[in-house]
Amino acid sequence: MKLAVFLSDWRRTEETLERLKADKLGIILVENGIYHAVVKEGGKDSPVLSKAGATFYALTDDLETRGYTAANVNPKVKLVNYGDIVDLIMKDYEKTAWL
Amino acid sequence: MAELTLGVFPSLVGSMSLDFSFKLAEAAMVKGHKVNLWLSGNAVMMAKKGQKAFKDYSHLEKRMKELIGKGMEITVCEACAEARGYHKEDVPEGMKRASMDWYLAKTVKTDRLLHIGGE
Repeated sequence: MKLAVFLSDWRRTEETLERLKADKLGIILVENGIYHAVVKEGGKDSPVLSKAGATFYALTDDLETRGYTAANVNPKVKLVNYGDIVDLIMKDYEKTAWL
Repeated sequence: MAELTLGVFPSLVGSMSLDFSFKLAEAAMVKGHKVNLWLSGNAVMMAKKGQKAFKDYSHLEKRMKELIGKGMEITVCEACAEARGYHKEDVPEGMKRASMDWYLAKTVKTDRLLHIGGE
């Protein structure tokens, strides 16, 4: 299964994410989920970004709304706009989940 | 053209997820896709016409009407609306009300589904 997971929160969802498995996994950071792409705690990346085999995306609009720019984003994360997310849903992944 | 169905439960004021849903729906329509939107739980506050647009609050009635005019199908959970005191006469023009069966039928037939849970 090709699964796209929308992560919309900074806390509370990591354990659920850990249990998810897919042949192809995309993690799309939106709303407060974008903090996983920009915040380091104790000098370490968010544990979300260590999910094995996943491809990471972050919504530029939500990033900029919170005062960040592309320069702040972890290099593991690709920036996307709403149109890109539509293409990810319709072309690259078969199922979606919202956390 | 494919069909995208969004099931949305978060409220308009106090969450940004409903805003996200409308922006995603609009982007999908720009790309030529058919979009269905199911509003349930606290998201049914969209089923109350005449809401005042405050500067710092989300206000989606205008965008909702534009998207309906472009072909988006928006249906609100009838029971969720009635439970919150929103009656048939409160529903903005172009929006429909239905039971959960409507959403279930869409989830089976649609090409892609994104279910956005509530608070």
